[in-house]
This record gives sequence, structure tokens and C-alpha cells, in this order.
Amino acid sequence: MNENKFLNTDSSTGSVETTVKPLPFKDPNFIHSGIGGAAAGKKNRTWKNLKQILASERALPWQLNDPSYFSIDAPPSFKPAKKYSDISGLPANYTDPQSKLRFSTIEEFAYIRMLPSDVVTGYLALRKATSIVS
Amino acid sequence: MAAASRVFAFRDARWAPDPVLEPSAAVRTPQPVPLVIDNGSFQTRAGWASADPAVPAEPLLRFRSLAARSRGARGGAGAETQVGNDLGSPEPLRWLLRSPFDRNVPVQLELQELLLDHVFQRLGVASQGCVDHPIVLTEAVCNPLYSRQMMSELLFECYQVPKVSYGVDSLYSFYHNKRQKWPCSGLVISSGYQCTHILPVLEGRLDAKNCKRINLGGCQAAVYLQRLLQLKYPGHFAAITLSRMEEILHEHSYIAEDYIEELQKWRSPEYYENNMHKMQLPFSNKLLGSTLTSEEKQERRQQQLRRLQELNARRREEKLQLDQERLDRLLYVQELLEDGQMDQFHKALVELNMDSAEELQSYINKLSLSVEQTKQKILQAEVNIEVDVVDSKPETPDLDPLGSEQSLEDVESINEFEPLFAEEQPEVEKPVAAVQPVFNLAEYHQLFLGTERIRAPEIVFQPSLIGEDQAGIAETMQYVLERYPKEQQAILVQNVFLTGGNTMYPGLKARVQKELLEMRPFQSSFQVHVLT
Repeated sequence: MNENKFLNTDSSTGSVETTVKPLPFKDPNFIHSGIGGAAAGKKNRTWKNLKQILASERALPWQLNDPSYFSIDAPPSFKPAKKYSDISGLPANYTDPQSKLRFSTIEEFAYIRMLPSDVVTGYLALRKATSIVS
Repeated sequence: MAAASRVFAFRDARWAPDPVLEPSAAVRTPQPVPLVIDNGSFQTRAGWASADPAVPAEPLLRFRSLAARSRGARGGAGAETQVGNDLGSPEPLRWLLRSPFDRNVPVQLELQELLLDHVFQRLGVASQGCVDHPIVLTEAVCNPLYSRQMMSELLFECYQVPKVSYGVDSLYSFYHNKRQKWPCSGLVISSGYQCTHILPVLEGRLDAKNCKRINLGGCQAAVYLQRLLQLKYPGHFAAITLSRMEEILHEHSYIAEDYIEELQKWRSPEYYENNMHKMQLPFSNKLLGSTLTSEEKQERRQQQLRRLQELNARRREEKLQLDQERLDRLLYVQELLEDGQMDQFHKALVELNMDSAEELQSYINKLSLSVEQTKQKILQAEVNIEVDVVDSKPETPDLDPLGSEQSLEDVESINEFEPLFAEEQPEVEKPVAAVQPVFNLAEYHQLFLGTERIRAPEIVFQPSLIGEDQAGIAETMQYVLERYPKEQQAILVQNVFLTGGNTMYPGLKARVQKELLEMRPFQSSFQVHVLT
């Protein structure tokens, strides 16, 4: 009755040459319909990612107040964002006009002016403050 | 004033592979017992749900929801797929790791199939052709229909499961951890790896219309912390890995009760010194090029000098030999002239590209002169080598030990001017420099965690820290509460329940209480519950 086949543990020498032994509790002929298989041909090999799934969900006939994955998204914030220094995280009142980084003390300013440009872009990207047109 | 900041080392723990468990007979008789799988984007946990005391009422399997398909070296035939704890350590395979989840929804169902295979196999599911047990599976709040369809298809058609029940993990936790006195309604705040949910529960039922989800969780906090440290320490880019970030978040981070006030505390240097945590990165003492002490360096230089000298001597001998042969040939030709064999002489001259006997003579003179000089140099070099061996003074630092492009003349000139350089030796010796880097090396490989300890977990409260324009937990709570009439608001606020992996920071309960105090009417009551 107990016909467990031990896959990866002791048959390591055997499974190198052969393909993976089928697990007993599975249907060996199962193909996911989501991946297309023979019907969709070679085009739809990949799975849909979340964005595509949500896009096709939006198209379904929802009522106004029905909960769905995208209607549950939290709303954008109404309060103005507080500004913090990019280097230390302290509340920042000042912004460097040259690199657009925020700082709170004079030492931070000196440090910012000595940074290489890739680190500067890194800090801005962290805040999603990079400009599209460089 | 001794610095009270402590130095911590990274554990960098490896995962132990899961054994194949043998379930007790109680899981199959009298009826197959339900299998509970908590299918999370961070961890998958699985266990049996049986009233029998022989079966433990807790997860038997716990592993990260990751799989890696490493290509075998034997042309694709040996491709191995490793799941969960079989991976050992996530770092070497970081770029091969794949998860079935996209945010908190499983989308890659092939990988989900691998994870389920792993679960069933390690739990010891013994049935043939199907998984006999009913399954309880967790899913996202308001799971997209497509994803549920795919998951059901996988369970029913591939594994032939008899029954499936889907549920939201935070609600299971709410229901399970409800104490006697707590009401059945409440506001569940569930913060996971990928997102944070605010779920109002009324009379035991989730009010799905008014749920809200913030797309920030432990994963985003770890990535934020990683980028902060990588920008602060660009030299340690590769050593700042996500697993180490997770370690820092789990053990060294906390949530500030009042963020601005806490930051002001960090301004003072004393507070910084006392509360900064130093994380020690592993390092080795070997640096490129400075492993040798000064004597070894001198040895090396001398060896290289000797080698150069030998090379030069060999070249000179070869040159000497060539010149000698040429000289002999020219002399032979000259003898032809003296012997009176004009034809042969002229032919030879043409071969040698010369026009007259005088040219031949001058050539011979030049050659013999250079042969003499070469012999002289060889003799001199031999003498100098002996002088070197006896003398063995430290060489000048100007000599580049790896520079094999040294021309012959330079080497010889250094040999000749050695007495002059002797005075410069003592100043240029650097034994002190060899001692200092050893001390600074440990400090160089330390990461200083100051405000980063509170900045990283703060993103769920202030998403503007990473540039997200969603509202944070406090504002979203207020938004959800305002969709209810005042009486229901009061009911909900009496039981604010925090659950989820990302809520395990110290200081979270105080913070939520402070936020509630700010948003609730004056002198109204509220209760926050966190599982300790």
C-alpha cells in the first residue's frame, strides 16, 4: 500500500540519466490549460502575469460595489508627503539644486557634493524622483 | 565614554532539507484528514488538520516559496529542480530563484505545481493516482477569478483532490486567536510579504466591499534597506544580499512610536553612538599584493633582479656568438682578397651587400670592437652579480618588481649606482604601513545601521519614502472607518487585530495605538491586539 517513491534523496545516481520519476499521486498526463498547450500553438507558452490578469478582469461585468482585486487598492494619500533627507533619513528642509537630493545638515551637503553620479541617481531612483528626460 | 554600540555578525544560516515524513495512521482512518496548506508569497506551510492527538496540530513543513531550476552541466539532461529548503541557501542561486507569485497572487502555476509536489511528497501522501485528502488552501483577498480557476484546475485535475476550501489567511488567524472577551467584529490589519490589507470584519463575516490593500510589505522593506546600504557602502555591493537584509529586518529593526521625534533623537551623536548597530561582514585578511612583509618583498625584488641579470647575460652571450661568426665570415672574405682570388671575393662582397674592400675593412673593425665590448660587459656583469649576493642591501623602491620591461641599461646602471641609493633606503621603508591596514580591516567591513533601523519598516506607514503614492496604514484605516456609520466605527475600533509576518516589529502596537488616538474622536476608546 505504501508505495512512496523517494525522488531526490537516495536515487540521485539513478535519476541523473533518466528523467524524473513520476510522483504517484499525480495524473501524469496533466497539462495546464492556462499555458495553451496544443490548442494555442507556440504563441502562448508563458503564463499571464498579474497585470494581464487584472486587465482582463476589469473587462468582466462588475456591479458598482462588487469587491474585486483592483477595487481593493488603497486610495492615494491626501496628506502632503513629509520630506526626509536621502542620506540620513532626518527631516530635510533643504534640497541641493544641482543633484536634487534632500539633506538636513551641512555635513550631509558636503557629502552629497562628493558623491559619484551613479550613487546620486541611485538615491533619486529610490525615491522615484528620477527625471525621464535627462 | 566607551562606545556602547555593539558589533553583530550575520548568521547566514543555511536551510536544512525537509525529510520525507511518515504520517501516523490517524491521517487516513477512518477518513482521510484534511490537509492545510498556507500558500504564502514568503513561506509555504503545510500540516494535517486532525483531532487525533497523535497528529501534531501545527505545520509540519515550513519552507520559502521558491524554486530554482539549475541547468545541469550535461547538456540539459541533468537539470535539477530544487524547491524550498532543498535549496540550502538562496544567495548563490539568487538569479535562478523563481516564485509562482506575482505580488500575492499565484500566477505561474507550473511552479505552484512544483511546490505542491514538494508538499505532498514530504508530508508522505501515500495514495496512488490522486491526493485523497480534502485540502484547505489560502488565497489572496478578492483573488482574481482567473487565478482561482487555474488553481482549482491544478488541484482537481492534476491531483484529483476530492474537496477544496479557499480562505484568507489573516481571517483564519483572527478566528483562531480570538480570546473569550474579544468581540466577533473587528478591524484586521494583516501585513505580509508583498502587501498589507485592512479588513473590516462584522459579526464574523468579512465586509469585502470596504477592504483595502496597500501594495507594500516585507519584500519592499527589504529591497529598500538593501538599496540604502548599497548606496551608502558602494564597496560592499555584492556582500549586501537580500537574505542579510531580511536578517537585519527581523532582528535589528523596530518601528518608532513617533517617527519625527525618534529621528530627532538620532540627531544627537551620543544617542547614535549608543544605539547604532554595527553589522560585521565576513572578510578575509588577504588583500591583493600586501600579504608580504617587507623582507619578503626585498627577497622578491632581488630574485627578479637576478633573473633579469641572467637574462641579460644570456642575451649578451648570444649576441657575442653571432657577432663572432659574422666576424669570422668577414675575415674569411678578407683572406680571399689577400690570397688573390678576386672573383670569389667579388661574389662574396655582392652577397654581403658591400662595394669595396675598404668598406669590408671598416666593417670588420667595427665588429671586432663591439665583440670586445660585449666580452667586457659580460665580465663586468659577473663581477657585479657576486657583489650583489654578498651585499644584499634592500633595493630601491623605484624598481617595479613586476616590470619586466626593464631595459638592460637601466638594470646595469642601478647596479653601478647602488652606493648612491643606499642613503635613500631608510626613509622609503614602509613597515608601519603593513601594520595599520590590519586594524582598519575589520572596521572597513562593518555596516553601520543608524536611522536605517527605523526607516525600512516605516514604508508601510509612509509610502512616500519610496515614492509610492498610496496612503499608509494610518490614513487607510481612517478611510475605511469613515465608510461606516459612527456606531459601527466604534465597534470595529474596539478590536483592532494585527497579524502577519511584517507586523512582528517591536513597537508596532504602540504606533498603531498612537495613530488611532490621533484619528478617533476625543476620549473615545479603542483596543489594539497583537499576538506576542
